[in-house]
Amino acid sequence: MTIKLIGFLISTSTLRVIICLKELGIPYELEPPASFQSLKDKDYIANKHPFGRIPVLFDGDFRINESRAICRYLVSKYQGKYNNTILIPNDVYKAGLVEQFISYESCYYDSPVSQIVSQELLAKKFWGKDPDPEVLKEARKNLNKVLDVYEKLLEGKEYLVGEFSLADIFHCPGTNLAYGIVTHSDLWDNRPNVKNWWNNLCNRDTIKKSFEEYRA
Amino acid sequence: MSIKLIGFPSSGPLLRVIITLRELGLPYELEIPANIQAIKEEDYIKNKHPFGKIPVLIDGDFVINESRPICTYLVSKYQGKHNNTNLIPSDVHKAGLVGQYVSYESSYYDPPISTIIYQEIYSKKFHNKDPDPEVVKQAREELAKVLDVYEKILEGKEYLNGEYSIADIFHIPSTHYVYGIDAHSDLWDSRPNVKNWWNRLYNREAVKKTFDEIKN
Repeated sequence: MTIKLIGFLISTSTLRVIICLKELGIPYELEPPASFQSLKDKDYIANKHPFGRIPVLFDGDFRINESRAICRYLVSKYQGKYNNTILIPNDVYKAGLVEQFISYESCYYDSPVSQIVSQELLAKKFWGKDPDPEVLKEARKNLNKVLDVYEKLLEGKEYLVGEFSLADIFHCPGTNLAYGIVTHSDLWDNRPNVKNWWNNLCNRDTIKKSFEEYRA
Repeated sequence: MSIKLIGFPSSGPLLRVIITLRELGLPYELEIPANIQAIKEEDYIKNKHPFGKIPVLIDGDFVINESRPICTYLVSKYQGKHNNTNLIPSDVHKAGLVGQYVSYESSYYDPPISTIIYQEIYSKKFHNKDPDPEVVKQAREELAKVLDVYEKILEGKEYLNGEYSIADIFHIPSTHYVYGIDAHSDLWDSRPNVKNWWNRLYNREAVKKTFDEIKN
């Protein structure tokens, strides 16, 4: 039975899972919900996600939600089954460091990136408001500090822990959106190691394909 | 060689790690930094935590930071070695659901509870500012909605995933702090399943011992 993923391609959290599925070579079907509104329906809340969110993954009878939890589950169950791609190393120390960088993404990187994306791409569309320059200024300031740290952490490395891992994947969807806003790509492009890292990611087949699907 | 843990004794993230160490029966040494400045110094940033935060765990030569990855690392390396306590099940589906509840804690539970902690505890202590009643009210409303969901999730269960797990542990320190504020304990006490769950967590040996220590 094919894995079923409920979500929207435009959602960064859905895209996280899609990249992970593609990297592990796992076949799946994407089932977009009827609308964002439908996520708050009683039935959706009772049977798919108690907080009314996406994505949700069904693997046979097994249901799991929350994108990062879904990805970890896919890795523990399917890593090495369809191809040789390693997203979480077996070595307990290397795996620990992957988790550490996953924590950096959700604790430090995600917030300012999401602020930028929210102001520049979502504010007009969903709330009819222009981007707030003060919020953007603060977000850029914070992201500058974070990327200064990443610049050092990426010294001599292609990817965050050296080899490609789940930690890199988690950074992709948000970065893809923020980097694509022409007034903000400098944040990555001004830092040689960070720029290199982002280029490496964008040039991976599965990631390129996922971003193309998202754009279409 | 003993595990070394670096952090301030009353820090929520540090307490997550301490509870985990105790639950796994692992001896450790706590090293308290001289002051908040000490963790922003060049040497600390370079060798302990690039974002200048705590906790940091040193296991022999291995350095890992960020409380949730530290706990996950401790479980993968030491679970079952010193006692029979299981914090992450070996079954891939059960472990997946533990990951899901871990994600609920950081996505939905932690933000409003951290706001209340900041307003009610940190603001006065560190910035000499009184809590903003509007901000507290909004955070309480948000937390109430989350706890309504938890009330359903905990129906017929002792712990979030049925059996005690790392997902429960991650909720403990912040809950202890806000539950301990008279004006807010009703959030848990007014919901029977949530109330039972919290009482059960609070009465675990490892948890009781940890909170007794910080009282002294």
